[in-house]
Amino acid sequence: MTELSVSEALRAALDEELARDERVYVAGEDVGSFGGNFGETRSLQEKYGETRVRDTPLSEVGIAGHALGAAVGGLRPVAELQFADFAATAGDEMINQIPKMGYISGGQFSVPLTVLAPSGAGIRSGAQHSQSVHAWMGSQPGFVVVTLTTPYDAKGLLKSAIRDDNPVFVLPHKNLMGKRGEVPDEEYTLPLGEAAVEREGDDVTVVATQQLFYRAIEAAERLAGEIDVEVVNPRTFAPLDTETIRASVRKTGRLVAVDETPLRYGTQSHIVSEVTTNDFFSLDAPPQTVGVADTPIPFSPPLEDEVIPGTDGIVDAIRDTF
Amino acid sequence: MVHETTASLEDCSAGTIETLLEEMIRIRAFDEAALDQFRDGDVPGFLHLCHGHEASHAGMGTAMEPDDWLAVGGSRLHGQYLVKGVPMREAMAEIYGKATGSNHGKGGSMHLADHERHLYGHAATIGSGQNPAAGLALAQQMRETGNVVVSTIGDGGTSRGSFHTALVFAATWNLPVVYVIENNGFAISYDAGNLPADELSAYGEPLGIPTASVDGMDPVAIHEAVSAAVERARSGGGPTVIESRVVRMRGHFEGDKQQYREDPDAAAGEAHDPLASFRDRLQDRGYLTDAEYEARYADAESTAADAVAYARESEFPEPATAYEDVYVRPLYGQEGTDGGEER
Ligand SMILES: Cc1ncc(C[n+]2csc(CCOP(=O)(O)OP(=O)(O)O)c2C)c(N)n1
Repeated sequence: MTELSVSEALRAALDEELARDERVYVAGEDVGSFGGNFGETRSLQEKYGETRVRDTPLSEVGIAGHALGAAVGGLRPVAELQFADFAATAGDEMINQIPKMGYISGGQFSVPLTVLAPSGAGIRSGAQHSQSVHAWMGSQPGFVVVTLTTPYDAKGLLKSAIRDDNPVFVLPHKNLMGKRGEVPDEEYTLPLGEAAVEREGDDVTVVATQQLFYRAIEAAERLAGEIDVEVVNPRTFAPLDTETIRASVRKTGRLVAVDETPLRYGTQSHIVSEVTTNDFFSLDAPPQTVGVADTPIPFSPPLEDEVIPGTDGIVDAIRDTF
Repeated sequence: MVHETTASLEDCSAGTIETLLEEMIRIRAFDEAALDQFRDGDVPGFLHLCHGHEASHAGMGTAMEPDDWLAVGGSRLHGQYLVKGVPMREAMAEIYGKATGSNHGKGGSMHLADHERHLYGHAATIGSGQNPAAGLALAQQMRETGNVVVSTIGDGGTSRGSFHTALVFAATWNLPVVYVIENNGFAISYDAGNLPADELSAYGEPLGIPTASVDGMDPVAIHEAVSAAVERARSGGGPTVIESRVVRMRGHFEGDKQQYREDPDAAAGEAHDPLASFRDRLQDRGYLTDAEYEARYADAESTAADAVAYARESEFPEPATAYEDVYVRPLYGQEGTDGGEER
């Protein structure tokens, strides 16, 4: 085991996959000598050259759009967007083109590309650099949408994304790029499409990812001895592994769905709906949801902190299920 | 910068002349058959016909090798699918939404694709196919396949930023791609004459991309221009932007009353028909007799009729197949995965 930050884990994943498969290349703004906004591509261009680690002109349309064609043409692009928010400036590519191409071709084309884009709030960057896009991208069938929480996740899931034959949108969290954690020394990948039970417990299931995962763990620790909390990290939001979540709720009888996406039409509602529709009678109490109220993410630190759910809010929501 | 070609029949090989004529006839016969069926109410959705674009389509099709990729744009699509080698049966069945169509009914006329024949198909959000074309070209460049990508677009689509971005990427990376703008003067009703550039190929100039503006009603002219561009791209000379000036003989789609057009009937007449004018030219030079032309046309008509019969008799896809092809399963790492292999 070695301790790495999330961005170091991402870089290690890219490094290993670039070395393993010559079809893999990385393209994005400032991924070359600059090394990526969070250091995630640092020194890779030196090692693999300007063809395999290529700086692009400033256009998300070009980054996402060319990657689609390159993937159909037999390469395995890792297309980086500096912030996940900019998926919107390549909206047509991200929504109408990439996730539909395999389908409309009747299965003739596979689109093995990875879009790597830091998402989420907490770095005081204002409304256009702070969004959690896995709700709006997760509603595009055809895109696999993955959130990264730990350095272990970051390396294992990014490597799987690059090897997967689908378009995969991989979302590390901006505020967790420096988060450190243990990563195995030997080569490994983590399965896409599978949620992980990260902390076992008997009384209530909390579903949480990215920075709210850590707050959910804090909440669980705060309640330890009183309420035994199980924490499930969905990892992949599309397609969502509802089976693992439902199995956990069948065990605990209670559910709190926590996410940084806006509550209105957010992932929380979908998770709750899957459980209430299929396992209503295993619930002992109404499920609770925790998320961002229906507001853009504000800039000013106290305002931003106000809208992003904190540990207290998660503790309250857990108590509300009793 | 390249600007004009000096297309002449005399410089064209007999084989090329032959193929150009053949392809133009096939496109016309196919579209006429599709139109008949559409009028009978058998063809679902919109019908966009190629009348007036046949020479342009045939000219670019014959300039490409079978392994070169075609990413289709504009809205005149059928002819481009045919010149890329998709059999009429598969194309017609897809237009009908049948299981025997090239995309098993998942695509339709706007999304006909054929991986084996290197037909990328059309991005129906107009102007969104040009960046993927650049990416396909990057794949050829990096994999050293020696193949070239041809990408088409209409005059309308050139106003989108995505088109200009694609030119930036193509020029920056010196990609083997040829952008053909089929300028038929209209984007549905919007008059291309209102656009500031006289020749839309001029959009390549600030980027240092070689350009040409040619008479797309003359199949030899477009064949020559695209051939030269394909040749340059294949030998590492990078992208080209070509304007192919054509006439849209019919409405944008069938049912379009064309009130925006001064004289729709004139546009539909023989004077603007590239097939009729090519036929006449060939007859004047003694390459073709009237009887030969009629026989060829009758042949193509019967292939098209066979395609219609095939499409009509084919089954619709099983409803359950609607849920297939959304994801390549299993996802990586799930049980049974052998992901990462070339397909
Ligand atoms: C992005 C986008 N905007 C609008 C449309 C609707 N639309 C379909 S075809 C068309 C006109 C296209 O004109 P042009 O690019 O000149 O191609 P042509 O029809 O002449 O072949 C429009 C506006 C669309 N499909 N996509």
